[in-house]
Amino acid sequence: MSLFGTSAGFGTGGTGVFGSTTTDSHNPMKDVEVTSPPDDSISCLAFSPPTMPGNFLIGGSWANDVRCWEVQDNGQTVPKAQQMHTGPVLDACWSDDGSKVFTASCDKTAKMWDLNSNQAMQIAQHDGPIKAIHWIKAPNYSCVMTGSWDKTLKFWDTRSPNPMMSLPMPERCYCADVVYPMAVVATAERGLIVYQLENQPSEFRRIDSPLKHQHRCVAIFKDKQNKPTGFALGSIEGRVAIHYINPPNPAKDNFTFKCHRSNGTNTTTPQDIYAVNAISFHPVHGTLATVGSDGRFSFWDKDARTKLKTSEQLDQPITACCFNHNGNIFAYASSYDWSKTPSFRQTPGPIHGSGCNVHGPIKGAYPTWH
Amino acid sequence: MAEGGDVEWELSKENIQPLRRGRAISALHQALTQQQDGLSSVINQQRQAFESELRMYEGDDPLDVWDRYIKWTEQTFPQGGKESNLTTLLERAVTRFTEEKKYHNDPRYVDLWIKFAESCPEPLDIYRYMQAQGIGMTQASLYIAWSEEYENQGNFHKADLVYQEGFKKCAEPHDKLLQFHKSLQARVSRQVMMEVEDDDSDEEPKQPERVSLVDLKYRGKKKAIALVNRTGPAIRSVSGGLQSRGAPVLGNASNTRLMIFDESKAPTAGPSEPRLEPWMAPPTSRAKENEKRPEKWCDVKKSKFGHTVMAPPPSKPTFQPFVDESDQPPTMTPCKINPAVNTVLSARKPCREGTPLKRLQEHHLQQKEAELGKSQEQSMYCKDLLLSGATEFCFEELRAERYFKKIAQDTQEVSGQKDHSGSSAAK
Repeated sequence: MSLFGTSAGFGTGGTGVFGSTTTDSHNPMKDVEVTSPPDDSISCLAFSPPTMPGNFLIGGSWANDVRCWEVQDNGQTVPKAQQMHTGPVLDACWSDDGSKVFTASCDKTAKMWDLNSNQAMQIAQHDGPIKAIHWIKAPNYSCVMTGSWDKTLKFWDTRSPNPMMSLPMPERCYCADVVYPMAVVATAERGLIVYQLENQPSEFRRIDSPLKHQHRCVAIFKDKQNKPTGFALGSIEGRVAIHYINPPNPAKDNFTFKCHRSNGTNTTTPQDIYAVNAISFHPVHGTLATVGSDGRFSFWDKDARTKLKTSEQLDQPITACCFNHNGNIFAYASSYDWSKTPSFRQTPGPIHGSGCNVHGPIKGAYPTWH
Repeated sequence: MAEGGDVEWELSKENIQPLRRGRAISALHQALTQQQDGLSSVINQQRQAFESELRMYEGDDPLDVWDRYIKWTEQTFPQGGKESNLTTLLERAVTRFTEEKKYHNDPRYVDLWIKFAESCPEPLDIYRYMQAQGIGMTQASLYIAWSEEYENQGNFHKADLVYQEGFKKCAEPHDKLLQFHKSLQARVSRQVMMEVEDDDSDEEPKQPERVSLVDLKYRGKKKAIALVNRTGPAIRSVSGGLQSRGAPVLGNASNTRLMIFDESKAPTAGPSEPRLEPWMAPPTSRAKENEKRPEKWCDVKKSKFGHTVMAPPPSKPTFQPFVDESDQPPTMTPCKINPAVNTVLSARKPCREGTPLKRLQEHHLQQKEAELGKSQEQSMYCKDLLLSGATEFCFEELRAERYFKKIAQDTQEVSGQKDHSGSSAAK
């Protein structure tokens, strides 16, 4: 089974992408490295929507900037433009027509970046850093949804300084995903809220968390009719839950699985558990990718409940990932993710250190499975 | 003190939990005014500041932050309750430092333990656990709290033994321990005296009887935390003098009676004065109504027609009751709240496994296992930092806190340099 074929014609490793014997743990998969990456950890990645010709990748970083690259068919990456915030960028998304990029930052604002004019303007304001930003395209309205650590979820029409709507949440927003007409927000203290977006956004249901540890990432998946039907939720303790909104048989259809752990079968040494940093669904096949602080990414088939492939281990955690619109390219970012702050109780020293300013190359524009 | 403030606090007395050390009146005023407009952003900001300080602290006295945070919580949430997170905080604080020997006899740490114990359903278990761990063994406050708990349960012998143990361990401050021990002895002797007097007056044996107008009995030994009963055995007048004899002295297990003025036992009737004759027989109950004397059933006369005349069923009225046309009662009570979004009531979550003590012991066990490398799993991230305090943080929040601190420092330095250059230029 060749998951990672070479039909798309790029990637440097040829057929032996995974079988490479290199000891270079910086880029063990020999993926294409994106040129001129940000100077600090990458927090988010997003590929341009299918309405745009070509593939454009945006990435936000802790160096306060958002960058845009063009990923060409031959695998070359060309840096195109960049914009700055006054604080670290935590999330970014595209508008449905691909003309604009929305960015959310620790500076408590969100910006709209018009790629045609390369102008950025503030469109949202919160009382705390904004952790998640998503574009909502409904038949009767379109807006930007921002989730913040100030415990509110706000909706902005990008023209008014005041939000269209502000919904209170029980806790701080940790991650969110939107696939019209559904939005899901995972919060601190294991909160989980599903919103419906038809006519206007409203809270649909609060769900008891299927996981026992802190929520870290969430991604909505679709059914055969291309309608959102559930979500995958990742936690800091190496586990992902697959949860359907209205399953015919909840006990059977919803499940969780372990991932991003080491020494799975070896019982003499303790199992190392890592955080799941991001989840992304393949736009065509509905399979999913998870990336973790262990520096690995894995592909899974949630319907067959099997693991398809796990990558080699990188020397750094993988903090973000995404597929392009047709699922031919998978991008992932390896950077310092703050999970390795003093994990030893004996050293109460400062958290920062040389590890903080780690170079964060986005690697990996390479073909995925068919 | 301002008149308005006085009224304010008079109006919400019942929402204020008693504190051992009392409350700062200014903090109380502030808390009560803030309370009216919900959990204000000021409180949230202060809490956030404490939470981040817990995680960013780099000095050699991490307990200090916890101590200040918990004291702030007590003062800011006078009504206690879930949103104060006090119990969670206490548990986390206490668990956090169990391994640190240097804090074991720190009065602040021992105070946290005592507060924690008092918030638990079984305080005695916690005190015994402390003893087993060697926490607070030289602190008088532990023995005082422990003994008071025994006393509340009516076990005066044990209460005294706890003090003896404290003396043996040379707990400090010695004067305080001695003083509390003496007052315990005074209370006990008074109690004994009372019982002797009661025996004199009541010749009939005390029988368990139903009591009305009393607090509901709570199950097990769980303390009703919100209620402060100052009746029955809980009355402890520190100053001398006889206890009011109006309050019946019942065993701890039974419900305490409401204080009812009893003429025959009025305190004016001192022990030397002649007493009224006790009743020879219990007074007949006059409370029963509709009591029927027992009769013979066989002699009941039958009615003439062999069956009793039944009242005819009420016939339908021959007229139509007038009903206003517009007066159509709604077929259903309109539901204003969408049940799916109802945030007012929610299903009760199954409570966390086990008692606080069990969790403590498990934590202790896990740490031992981790030291020996026996644990099955280990988390490869800074779990301590994420789960410190009353709320959890995510990696990004930790990092953002660092970032903001650094920015603040940088701007300070810059402004400091500017000031410096400005002043030097002025020279």
